[in-house]
Amino acid sequence: MVSLYYYIQEVARLRWWKSFFFPRTQALVSPPYFRDFPESTGNPCSHTLLCMMVCPSPGAIEVLKTEKGWIPFIHKECCIRCGICVEACPHNVLQSGKVREWTQIQSSHLNCSFYIEIKDFKCTGCGNCSSACPVNIEIRDRDSNSNKLEISNNLVIRVGSKGKVKVQNSDKCTGCKICETVCPNNSIYIVKILEARQGVVN
Amino acid sequence: MKKIVDISIPLGPVHPCFREPVRIMCETKGEYVLSCETELGYMKRGIERIMRGKPWQEVMFIAERVCGVCSVIHNMVFIESIEKISGIEVSPRALYLRVIANEFDRIQSHLLANISYCNTIGHETLAMYLLNERESVMDELERLTGARVTCSYIIPGGVRFDISDEEMRSIPVRLKKLEVNVNQWMNMFSTGPLIALRSRGIGILTEESARLNHAVGPLARGSGITFDCRLEHPVYQKLDFVSIVSNGKDNYARVMLRFSEIIQSIDLIKTALATLPGGLVRFGGIPKAGEITHSGEAPRGQLTYFIKTDDAGRIIDIAIETPSIMNIEVCMQKMIPGLESIADVASVFVSIDPCIACTER
Repeated sequence: MVSLYYYIQEVARLRWWKSFFFPRTQALVSPPYFRDFPESTGNPCSHTLLCMMVCPSPGAIEVLKTEKGWIPFIHKECCIRCGICVEACPHNVLQSGKVREWTQIQSSHLNCSFYIEIKDFKCTGCGNCSSACPVNIEIRDRDSNSNKLEISNNLVIRVGSKGKVKVQNSDKCTGCKICETVCPNNSIYIVKILEARQGVVN
Repeated sequence: MKKIVDISIPLGPVHPCFREPVRIMCETKGEYVLSCETELGYMKRGIERIMRGKPWQEVMFIAERVCGVCSVIHNMVFIESIEKISGIEVSPRALYLRVIANEFDRIQSHLLANISYCNTIGHETLAMYLLNERESVMDELERLTGARVTCSYIIPGGVRFDISDEEMRSIPVRLKKLEVNVNQWMNMFSTGPLIALRSRGIGILTEESARLNHAVGPLARGSGITFDCRLEHPVYQKLDFVSIVSNGKDNYARVMLRFSEIIQSIDLIKTALATLPGGLVRFGGIPKAGEITHSGEAPRGQLTYFIKTDDAGRIIDIAIETPSIMNIEVCMQKMIPGLESIADVASVFVSIDPCIACTER
């Protein structure tokens, strides 16, 4: 009976109820310099796809088309929070911790180019890569009126005279890796060449 | 026939004192430990196999994930070997910033090693105090690089972020506080009578057997061998780095050596900040084909990377040699057999600071 009396006395206090409903422990907040998952800054995405190309974790970032235009979408289960996509973005679409701020202060940037490697002993010359390449399709649509030889000289990759695929303009490659996925023999590889630089853009 | 082995006692793979899974089979006679052997293979991830065929900018992030405690040194040694292959020039300011990040990493790794030792011998109070200090060091790393563990701070030709003027002023102030606190806990450890009872004269490794079995890191330095890869590093030479060597040879000497290395690292960071050169932090540079074997000093000892790359900067072949594999073998061969009590096996094993994730990769 005595213990019940003390219990009621304890619970009857206003302070007990206050601490029960309004705990003083504050919620955990990550500091502003913590490199969290990339977030959108609200700037319009220009669909250069550089974020997707430089991402070291497969399938962590995808640029999707919505009603508002292109938006970069982060798959949080794959993202390793390295912040490379934030550095690579040319139009300040993404932000994460202090990465965006420091790339502007340092005027640092990532020079991104692509190297197309074709293994001749595996290549059957089927031409899947050439017909699937989105840059090739764009060039064909744009120059549909001009000479056929001129068009084929402008293409990124095409089937050469000896029945083997050859690389013509590797500087036009955007690194989408569609050729890698359509190749039946795994004979074409796209390698990204990244260079971290600081100072004036060449 | 006379019975020699009374009972064989397995420790692990799940043991409250070990941070990572490893199994030790001890054969005992009464309380004496006659022999022991280790059973690895609970943490195998095949990281070297995953790395092959990938370009360096992906492997850079995988290399960090070899070890969760000493991630900065894995990144640093990997990038340094890529730079040596392709002859990339590194910004002098970035070289100093790398050393600062690496020394912060060393402080937190050594603190964690001492935390687990204190926890193993049952001194939880000191372990909690040290854990509190470690948190402040992790915050420093987060301020500098943006992340606590997988910093991904170092890239070919430099580092990713410069250090701000505000941090340049505030880091020495916070380091001073840390130094006072670490000195206090070091004093607490060295004067504790019960700690001495569990640590002094236990787990003795003589200089001769350490040399024969290729012990590295604080384990070798605790046995009187001057072996430190930092002595050959150009930036550490500029900072007048002198390796600390202790002659105690037991658990107590190794833990105290780690404490004094923490104090030394704090001084190194202070000197590096005071003499930080100006200029850009990134010089750029594209990796080329070649192969190299390059070493660096991880918190646990010598870390070696063998790397072979092709024209496009892809990794064709890679082999990582981590310090813990030698240290675990020395511990099993020379330190644990002959112990007077089975209760000391866990504390001797933890005192060498084994990293099973590094060892098995």
